[in-house]
Amino acid sequence: MTSMTSRDSAQKPRLLESRRVLTLILLAAFAWSLLNLDWTEGFIHSGGISAMGEFASALFSLDLSADTLSAAVSASWTTVAYAVAGLTLALFIGIPLGAIGSGVLTKSPWVRATGAGGSRFSLAFFRSIHELVWAWLFVAAIGLSPMAAVLALAIPYGGILGRIYAELLQDVPEAPLQSLRSTGASEWRVFWYGRLPMALPDMLSYTFYRLECGIRSAAIMSFVGLGGLGHEVRIALDDLAYQQVWTYLLFLIGLVVIVDIWSTMVRRRLSE
Amino acid sequence: MTTIDNASRPTTVSFTWPRVTFIRFSMLAMMVLIVSSWIFVLNVDGAQSHSFLSVETFNRFKDFLGDLLGIGSSTTSAFAQWSEWRSTGHLAYQTLAMSVMAIGFAAIFALVFFIFGARNMMMGEMAPYGSWFWRGVFFFVRGMFVVTRAIPELIWAMLIIFVLSPGLLPGAVALGLHNAGILGKLSSEIVEGLDQRPIQALRSTGAGRFQVMVYGVLPQALPRFVTYLFYRWEVIIRTAIVVGFVSAGGLGTEFRLSMSYFHFTTVALLLVWYLILVLAVDITASYLRRLAR
Repeated sequence: MTSMTSRDSAQKPRLLESRRVLTLILLAAFAWSLLNLDWTEGFIHSGGISAMGEFASALFSLDLSADTLSAAVSASWTTVAYAVAGLTLALFIGIPLGAIGSGVLTKSPWVRATGAGGSRFSLAFFRSIHELVWAWLFVAAIGLSPMAAVLALAIPYGGILGRIYAELLQDVPEAPLQSLRSTGASEWRVFWYGRLPMALPDMLSYTFYRLECGIRSAAIMSFVGLGGLGHEVRIALDDLAYQQVWTYLLFLIGLVVIVDIWSTMVRRRLSE
Repeated sequence: MTTIDNASRPTTVSFTWPRVTFIRFSMLAMMVLIVSSWIFVLNVDGAQSHSFLSVETFNRFKDFLGDLLGIGSSTTSAFAQWSEWRSTGHLAYQTLAMSVMAIGFAAIFALVFFIFGARNMMMGEMAPYGSWFWRGVFFFVRGMFVVTRAIPELIWAMLIIFVLSPGLLPGAVALGLHNAGILGKLSSEIVEGLDQRPIQALRSTGAGRFQVMVYGVLPQALPRFVTYLFYRWEVIIRTAIVVGFVSAGGLGTEFRLSMSYFHFTTVALLLVWYLILVLAVDITASYLRRLAR
């Protein structure tokens, strides 16, 4: 995230007008979306309020029995394992396609255009489908293998990583690259000894940021039957065992917070 | 790893090595995590009737692709019928409405709370709200952002379906809650990174809290906020189908039903609509983002 600067200090009246138009568009769009609701019937179904009350009060009588806790720990590990395995596979998609997509590997304009265009298109396709939809398609195709979850995570995450990597590889300062070129290095060598080492801290930093999202994505892989924290939440909800639901939810929140803190610490140190 | 560490320790300046060590430790921990995760995944995979890397997987994959495209099926493919295109198109329209509603809810939530989640507004020498009460409000709001953010949209939907009647609303609320946490955190960070000088100038003229908000903070923060809004909308449209799996409404519900009835050509048609939606939203969002600048 770039820090906010005084970008508005030099704003012109014309820009203000376009913003006013934008505000109107946004409000109209929101109003249109609300029109699609069925306003004639109540939004809260009978028993909804009491269910909410029961659910809220269950927080104060958490299920901390040994069975639940051990199930939570093992489900947490499954979730982390899916996330980490999926992310490593995503690197194998993101790094090569990102490098080709950045169009910096060759000087030949024809090869560059087709290579960059092709890999950018496939990256866009990979990330336009949500990981759970991928997961369901994989499960339908190959059955309930954990590899389905790993692949389903790897494809959209590879698409996102590849796009960001391509941008980072392009944004590397030119001067050091020029000095490499002046020694007669090919674009390929310039990539290995110039671009990649310079872009690596930012690439690593972004990958760590994605790990947190990966944990959340892995947690919902359960919806298609692949285990993990979401699976436990779902079973507990089916049993109306709200105390257990809370325990699993707190484990999920804790996991995400720990990974968030870790990745923030790593990224802060990488950017120093 | 350790040998390098020991060798370099005496020569490095004392205050730089903890930084290096933390990164090294993190990388090592990551390596351990990667290896053990793969061992776990491959072990579970090995317990299946056939492993992932086999001819069987390839054949099944080929069959499934054939099913999606309606090859060798006796019934007419869904995407060859105009009426199917129309009915699923209506679902796509609903999903679009759900995504807009969701980003609206998230924006309202974030706009209400973001100022209370900004550290520089709530404590420190700059803060007009210097008391312990406001400090407590700050931690409460930040905690709320963390919790709403940590729970994925789909799990929110599973919980909300217990309270709200099925339809577009529970899906939109689920998407809205998760994104409210993200937008709230991002917009609080916008305020924390704001140029403080116009705000200080306003305060020095004797402006009250509300005036500082309206004339100092909002004009600076809103354009950036709107940019984030569009960025999140791109994510929401991709997730709207997933939330629809449980919340009854839009493409997701139909996707789930078609999958369980093995109507794979309908699944293919729904995926086409899904891709059209994602593409349309990406293009619209990037156009509107330009308006916000």
